[in-house]
Amino acid sequence: MKWNWSGRGSGMWRMTVLLMAFAMILAACGGSDDEGSGTTAASGDTATTAPSTETKTINVAIVGNPQMEDITSLTPELFTAETGIKVEYTVLEEQTLREIVTRDVGASGQQFDVVMIGMYEAPQFGENGWLYNLDKWAVDDAAYNKGDLIDAVVSGLSTDNGYWASPFYAESSFLMYRKDVLDAASLTMPDAPTWDEVASIAREINSPDMAGICLRGKPGWGDLGAAFTTVLNTFGGTWWAANPDGSIGAAQVDQPEFKEALTFYVNLLNDAGETDAANASYNECLSQYQDNKVAMWYDATVAASNLEASDSPVKGLNDYALAPTKVTDASGWLWAWALAIPQNAPDPDTAWQYVAWATGPDYLVQAGENLPGGWAAVPPGTRKSLYANPNYQEAAAAFADKTLAAMEAAPINNPGTTPRPGVPAVQFVGVPEFQDVGTRCTEQFSAAIAGNISIDDALKACQSIASEASQ
Amino acid sequence: MEQEVSTELASREVAKKARLRRERWMRRLPLLPALIFTILVTQIPFVMNLWYSLTEWKITPPTPRAFTGFDNYATLFTNTFFRSAVWITVVMTVGAVALSVLLGLGIALLLDREFFGRGLVRTLLITPFLIMPVVAGLIWKTQIFHSLYGVLNWLITAVGFQPVEFVGKMPTWSIITVLVWQWTPFMMLIILAGLQSRPTDILEAARVDGASAYTLFRHITLPGLRPYLELGALLGSIYLIQVFDHIDVITGGGPGSTNVPYFVYQRSIGGGWDFGQAAAYSTVVVAASLVIATIGLRLLGGLLPKEEI
Repeated sequence: MKWNWSGRGSGMWRMTVLLMAFAMILAACGGSDDEGSGTTAASGDTATTAPSTETKTINVAIVGNPQMEDITSLTPELFTAETGIKVEYTVLEEQTLREIVTRDVGASGQQFDVVMIGMYEAPQFGENGWLYNLDKWAVDDAAYNKGDLIDAVVSGLSTDNGYWASPFYAESSFLMYRKDVLDAASLTMPDAPTWDEVASIAREINSPDMAGICLRGKPGWGDLGAAFTTVLNTFGGTWWAANPDGSIGAAQVDQPEFKEALTFYVNLLNDAGETDAANASYNECLSQYQDNKVAMWYDATVAASNLEASDSPVKGLNDYALAPTKVTDASGWLWAWALAIPQNAPDPDTAWQYVAWATGPDYLVQAGENLPGGWAAVPPGTRKSLYANPNYQEAAAAFADKTLAAMEAAPINNPGTTPRPGVPAVQFVGVPEFQDVGTRCTEQFSAAIAGNISIDDALKACQSIASEASQ
Repeated sequence: MEQEVSTELASREVAKKARLRRERWMRRLPLLPALIFTILVTQIPFVMNLWYSLTEWKITPPTPRAFTGFDNYATLFTNTFFRSAVWITVVMTVGAVALSVLLGLGIALLLDREFFGRGLVRTLLITPFLIMPVVAGLIWKTQIFHSLYGVLNWLITAVGFQPVEFVGKMPTWSIITVLVWQWTPFMMLIILAGLQSRPTDILEAARVDGASAYTLFRHITLPGLRPYLELGALLGSIYLIQVFDHIDVITGGGPGSTNVPYFVYQRSIGGGWDFGQAAAYSTVVVAASLVIATIGLRLLGGLLPKEEI
């Protein structure tokens, strides 16, 4: 039966229509949200310096990490006051920055004079002809002192045709562990352990209250993809073989080394890994480590500054070892955030003045003296002079030497045992296809870690994903 | 004579028609700029999307755009990942819509009674719908589902069970749960509007005739609510088919949680940079949404003309 929709009924209809309209508006808002929110903490805020008159202005896009945010507050008095160049910053979350910069630089927009890019992008963008070769200025700039930069980092940002981006911040990976826990179990960790040693220690100290080791398990080429690829390299595997001309060859995911590496990784996490491993990455491991929930952690060297911070509950309880190996000599990754000048920048000379200041040796000293966080908050990993600075050595005593050793050991030009496309690179493959392949494959691996699919199914799916990119 | 009259009548008829047409256009004229604007900002991008879907276009490494015909659509049907994304979209949309309509109906029936503090309860119940999807996703992921810090696992361990890794083990249903939580209030509002417009005289008459509460619900309330349930399900399906935020925040994609919109994102600016393929996939989503909307509007059609909207 149907009701007679008169009187009150039509009022109700009006309400329903209003609701529909309301829903449309909400949906529209939601839609515009999607654009910016690449990942969880999408912060699209723009920090600008104080306005001044009759000065040159440059636009700089940077990623919203603490060290980068520090430089925005120091720029007015340390750079603009000296040079008269005003700097307009756009601070973006990592994935958003990657999307915007790729679109802006790749599609010849003119939004930015200086862009911050990672070690993954620098060689590719440079070879695409999108960036200025910084050697044009860097080799003659005594104050910039290119020789002071850590060699592996420079290699990672260069190709045969140029030096594409100047490092602002760099990191490697190493193993962090609770010395007190290992001591209590009468175990010792070698300074340069193998994965087999690490796995047996992890399984031995694993207990219901404290997991043996924290490894990244969250999908993403920069999350699980980074940690797993270093393991893969040192197990003798690779994502792709290289064609004679260096392009992407056949996918190697179906090879025994790849399976061995993934099986090792998944089993170690199942036997002695952190809770909810399939969702854990840097932040999750950091909080579990600081909560006494894990005894060891393999991740970025920058984590040590969090563990040894004055307010850290595990301060002073830790020790550090080089990234574990299997058949190669070294396996630590190498990552840098670096400043580059796009080919379409209107005034590249002014842009270089800024790059030379922000990534120069003097900025590290200025930052150490001026930042509220002091020397420990200085962007690490780029210059040898920082590790020779007594102030920094004092502030970062627990991890400075181990970090420098890890940075210098990173096998940036030859990370594995077989020829591969996209070097220089350790924890990723320096080809455009890797972002997509790495992310979609790690989704499969993460599902295998969670136990939703088998390792064989994950490898089979990944082999077909990776094969799409083979040439 | 007669003929004259009829020709005169005919010409009068024509003049009247012309006047009517003019009047109609006079009325439409002020709306034209808005219409043209709408066409410019919605239909032209869509046509461009159709064109892109026929090309091979990657921006990194920079390659010139090349026309490839229907290649992108051809790969679409052989791509197992696209098929699994379609399946996830179907499960998520149907699951979330069905559950939220059912829950919404139950809550609306409860709220239809008079009780102290009803206004407050109704406001509180609506709140989940007003929360941003990203925030809702984060709250559920870290404060409710999380195996160490989540409330659910705190309860589970408190009664002596092992903690469950909800998001890791059951990605699809974790996301559906959050979607249901967010969309139940919307369904509830629509159904409540329907309930409150029930003609009381019929209900009273039925009660006088000795009908039980169940009979009343089954034979009077439910048939009368049908258009409201259909409307809710239709709007819910149209919006839930394009869920993105929850997936991005809670799982970041994966075999059990990548739906078609998320897959399109991954193929394009999310790292694939393959705009030709992504455009083809999104064209398919638009086509599917249109089919659902058409079917839904036809279902609703029985109601709409009566209201002369």
